[in-house]
Amino acid sequence: MAFVVKRLLEFRDRTAIAGVGYTPFGKDSGVSTLTLACRAIMAALDDAGLTPDDVDGLATHRVGDSAAPSLVGPALGIHDPHWHLDQFGGGSVSHAVVAQAALAVAAGVAETVVCYRAINARSEFRMGGTGRALPVSPEVQYQAPYGYVAPPQQFAMYARAHMLKYGTRAEHFGQIAVTQRANAAKNPRALMRTPITLDDYLAGRWIAEPFRLLDCCLETDGACALVVTSAERARDLRRPPVLVSAAAWGGGQSHLSGGPSDPTVTAAAALAPRLYGQAGLGPADVDVAQLYDCFTYSVIVQLEDYGFCPKGEGGPYVASGATALGGPLPVNTHGGFLSEGYVHGVNHIAEAVSQLRGDAGDRQVPGAEVALSTAQPGYVLPATSALILRRG
Amino acid sequence: MSDPPAGAWRPDRDSAPWWERTGREEFAVQRCDSCGTARLPARAFCPACRTEGWHWEAAEPAGTVESWIVNRRAFAPGFAVPSVVVMVRPDAVPDCLLPGSWHAAREPVGGERVRGVFVPVRDGPTLVGWEPVVR
Ligand SMILES: [Zn+2]
Repeated sequence: MAFVVKRLLEFRDRTAIAGVGYTPFGKDSGVSTLTLACRAIMAALDDAGLTPDDVDGLATHRVGDSAAPSLVGPALGIHDPHWHLDQFGGGSVSHAVVAQAALAVAAGVAETVVCYRAINARSEFRMGGTGRALPVSPEVQYQAPYGYVAPPQQFAMYARAHMLKYGTRAEHFGQIAVTQRANAAKNPRALMRTPITLDDYLAGRWIAEPFRLLDCCLETDGACALVVTSAERARDLRRPPVLVSAAAWGGGQSHLSGGPSDPTVTAAAALAPRLYGQAGLGPADVDVAQLYDCFTYSVIVQLEDYGFCPKGEGGPYVASGATALGGPLPVNTHGGFLSEGYVHGVNHIAEAVSQLRGDAGDRQVPGAEVALSTAQPGYVLPATSALILRRG
Repeated sequence: MSDPPAGAWRPDRDSAPWWERTGREEFAVQRCDSCGTARLPARAFCPACRTEGWHWEAAEPAGTVESWIVNRRAFAPGFAVPSVVVMVRPDAVPDCLLPGSWHAAREPVGGERVRGVFVPVRDGPTLVGWEPVVR
């Protein structure tokens, strides 16, 4: 075990994110996911001061809805990548992709990896349960025959469990929507920039009780890409490097008997001590957090499971204003999936990079040095992943 | 209950015997032959002792309400709106959470006692729904 820990500490700050790139976000991109991927990758490479000739690794995650590295590579004239990853999975693996790219770079398998996610989640492949074919997976047979098929339903179910156990209220969920919209108002990329009030939230139509419209993330067409390379190389590139201080994976409660079964505790609770230990930091050291917000509730449970407040107090913590810009822990400063757009986790990492480089404009957290960015915390399937990033 | 969405119900080689039993209005659990741990949903290995031997055992379809939602839009074709989906912690396997249909005029209450009802579906499985013990 000591050996493992030592090796993990050797990984700390060895790799960096040297560039970020986006396509515009919208409701109908009018182009293929291959085109979106190429555009975001070219933007990220330009940000880093690199070209496709510098790239020797490609990585993505997807659920059969986007262009694979084996397609994107040839499309950009990257014909023989030394390393690639085509990770099946949803938001819970979003940060694992970057973590694995960092491991590949640290191991010397590749020098410069581009991680990307391209998605036409509004115009082609909606995730909100309107027309998407059901995945073929063994657990689906115990859910779909009851009409229980879509993420808004699943997260509403877990949110209600948290309300019942801890007294979490609609106003707590609403405060997250309101706060993130205020952040998005300061983000030129964001799809939804008109400020909202708690009354607007409460007046929203029901989707699946206890969730209203503004509990749910946007379905977005767009792409986002990140350039991962060694810390050493990143220091010679165009932009200030952002170091990967820690990366971790975790598991937790499941629909299968035999393990943890408290629906109010996520896989993040198991992951967090490993993540912080690897970085040599704790929750109090985090200056800004981008927490996976497929729904408002997922922010509340992660605030608890990543140790920012005691278990069960995520709702009151948010209501106190702690997660707003100017508070002790600004969360989802870009507006998150709720208001910026939904790029399946990658735009959270990109925003963390922006905050640590100090180029987040009107929504900049002054002096931000340490950022936490997280994947879907392990509902639906018991797996999550997260990164701690640090200004280089 | 109306038809489930196409392709939604696809028993696999682990689960087919469980669904056969719901068709006979039996709520079955797998009981490990080695250590006696009950498990759901169906699968070959006991997660406690990691052995394969098991037998099916009829259990009381009873449990408690862990959570529920009220669908306010149609997430799948053929399902009524509004409708409740309940998540139940079965007594027989208390570390499992099962979603199911809700069979009462009122909404569930957190932690209340429920019992299973068997719901045949045309050209499909017999589903396990839940109704309150105290109506
Ligand atoms: Zn056993």
